Amino acid sequence: MSTLKEAIAQGKPMRELTMAQAVREALAEEMRRDPTVFVMGEDVAEAGTPFKVLLGLVDEFGTSRVIDTPISEPGFAAIGVGAAMTGMRPVIDIMFGDFLTLTMDQMVNQAAKARYMSGGKFSVPIVFRTTMGATRRSAAQHSQSLHVWPSHVPGLKVVMPCTPYDAKGLLKTAIRDNNPVVYFEDKMNFTTKGMVPDEEYTIPFGVADIKRAGTDITLVATSSMVYVALGAADKLKELGISAEVIDPRTTFPLDKQTMIDSAKKTSRAIVIDEGYERYGVTAELASIIADGAFYYLDAPVKRMGAMDVPIPFSPALEDLTVPTAETVFQMAKMLCGRA
Amino acid sequence: MATNVIMPALGVAQETGKLLQWMKSEGEAVKKGEILMVVETDKTTVEIEADASGILSNVTLGVGQEVPVGQVIALILAPGEAARPRQAALPTGRGEIEATERGKSEPSATGVAASPLARRIAEENNVDLSLVKPAGEKIEKADVLAYLESLKQRSNARLAPASPKARVAAGEHDIDVATIKGSGIEGAVIYGDILSAVAARAPRQAAPPAGRGEAASPTGSADDTETVKVGTIWRIMAERTTQSWTSVPHFYLTREVNAGRLMTWRERAQKRSPAKITYTDLIVRLAAAALLQHPRVNARWQDGAVHLNHDVNIGLAVAIEDGLVVPVIHQAQSLSIVEIAARRAEVVGRAQAGKLKPADIAGGTFTISNLGMYGVDSFNAIVNPPQAAILAVGRIVQRVTPVDDRPAVQHMMTLTLSCDHRAVDGARGAQFLQALAEMIEEPLGLLD
Repeated sequence: MSTLKEAIAQGKPMRELTMAQAVREALAEEMRRDPTVFVMGEDVAEAGTPFKVLLGLVDEFGTSRVIDTPISEPGFAAIGVGAAMTGMRPVIDIMFGDFLTLTMDQMVNQAAKARYMSGGKFSVPIVFRTTMGATRRSAAQHSQSLHVWPSHVPGLKVVMPCTPYDAKGLLKTAIRDNNPVVYFEDKMNFTTKGMVPDEEYTIPFGVADIKRAGTDITLVATSSMVYVALGAADKLKELGISAEVIDPRTTFPLDKQTMIDSAKKTSRAIVIDEGYERYGVTAELASIIADGAFYYLDAPVKRMGAMDVPIPFSPALEDLTVPTAETVFQMAKMLCGRA
Repeated sequence: MATNVIMPALGVAQETGKLLQWMKSEGEAVKKGEILMVVETDKTTVEIEADASGILSNVTLGVGQEVPVGQVIALILAPGEAARPRQAALPTGRGEIEATERGKSEPSATGVAASPLARRIAEENNVDLSLVKPAGEKIEKADVLAYLESLKQRSNARLAPASPKARVAAGEHDIDVATIKGSGIEGAVIYGDILSAVAARAPRQAAPPAGRGEAASPTGSADDTETVKVGTIWRIMAERTTQSWTSVPHFYLTREVNAGRLMTWRERAQKRSPAKITYTDLIVRLAAAALLQHPRVNARWQDGAVHLNHDVNIGLAVAIEDGLVVPVIHQAQSLSIVEIAARRAEVVGRAQAGKLKPADIAGGTFTISNLGMYGVDSFNAIVNPPQAAILAVGRIVQRVTPVDDRPAVQHMMTLTLSCDHRAVDGARGAQFLQALAEMIEEPLGLLD
């Protein structure tokens, strides 16, 4: 049951959770299951993070496993890498994805390389849990989506769920993975509700989820952009255009085939991602689709990402920098010759 | 040393071949073994490989034209060989056209004279005069210039905006994307435009590709039928069955046989074969043996005489998405059952993949069509010209039959032999069918 649709089809008992609750549940289950799992970061214990995702976790596991750190991402990221190399399974909380810039050496040069360079003597089962996404009025240093940075580096796996179901199943897989995983949650999705099975489950990496089936155009969307794409698909439906929405869920490992097959079927594709458009995730995915489905395409593969600017604090301006259901709708209409 | 490119003969009775597409253009480098052209025969379309490496030159055959097999239609010049000045005519396999020198007004391949100026412009531009259509009796300068302009138009197809999907479809339907108004972004031709163009295209001969914007408008009143566009394979099937049905006097012989031994045989053969053995394989084996005994059924009627074939080359009717194709198991009389199964798997696989080679469909002397897997009890097949007969095989099914005055349940199968009465008469057909039936009921001696 790698997708919610499968779980529903199998008639699993379920309840509705927010994405924050699903993430907390995944952490708690893994911490109960494996005593080497611990959480470390800024404001993770009593505060339960500024997004209240970890609220209550410290009550069950105590401050020795839910560890508040000083404001020093380079320091506690390095502690995490060392802990992972010596047998622990740390979940390092990087409050804003923008702060990943401070952990680049620990992540890129140490965590991603240690297993290879030690000839397999060390593995680094670490999870960097962090956030992405704009439109929270958090200004230029707290609103970026930098998931393409780790996606670029061999040795790192990158996960970006958008539903409570995906968030829980993928986080459990991330914690159990023996390699470094960078796990992104969109800040705007913490209160998003969705069904989650009562029973335990995990979701394998590298399996895309078709969030909505369609026949006329493929919308490949990541993280919160999945909701943007679904909104566009609703509008397109009014015009009689049937859009298929595909959520890769992990940028590495990447499920290329599902995207290519869909584009072959529909002959048109747009890739939507909240990272900066230039040199971004959209570029990689669009290239894969153009390459794999070239002789089946009726239109160029289009990319829609964040505008090429520092993200403004002004709400009126900020909202213009990221794709919306309306802009995706307009682009899709144009590709389908209906503009 | 230039190599002649000829219209190949791909079938026993094939008279002419039609060029569907040049995969290389004049002046382009060709490597031996590369696909040079696509040719339509009376059976199917095939891709023809280049026999030599060099520069494609002196192309005299245009797309859609049909010429006798054996005719030279182009040259491949050896690397380094200078493009030869356009001779009036190329030697043809059948020697119908003779090149003669007649000074300043020598005839071109079409037998039409050209003015010296026209000839010079043609040579400077590497134009084959035989492809130029004169407005008057003689090819003039203006004719050559008009031809050059049309070439330019043709190469514009490459530059016309069109989606990759549309280009693939245009190639399949032999449509020039430059002649279509695109409805895509920036006027690009998209897949749907090709479909509309195909639908609007008048019957093949009626209009040359230049004709566009036919009266039938897509918004016009539609009747209550849906038109299914067919590919070349389907069209050939339609033409060939019509030809057979309207010109071959058919008669049919039907016989029920006990398939019990056949089933046992298949099980035993299967145990010794790594590849899957089908009933069709067994029937090919038995039919080949029966045909050896009855050569009049392994024959064809041609030019007022019955021609007996030495080899038993058994064609298998294979349904593919595009229609019906008949790949051939050659010299089936000398193949073991395992060899037949291997060959059958190979050619049927290629048929289904649309990758049949010319040799796969050439030279059939008898055809078997088995619809047993579709639950058909029996049927009458249409003879596959120029062959004398075709065997229609029904399903194996349990029937109550009298054995020694008592009802018994047995596995039975119905065979129907369709014959060309010009090559086979009723008695000869019946004798063959009897021999085959006996072999099926008692396949001793063939159990290899």
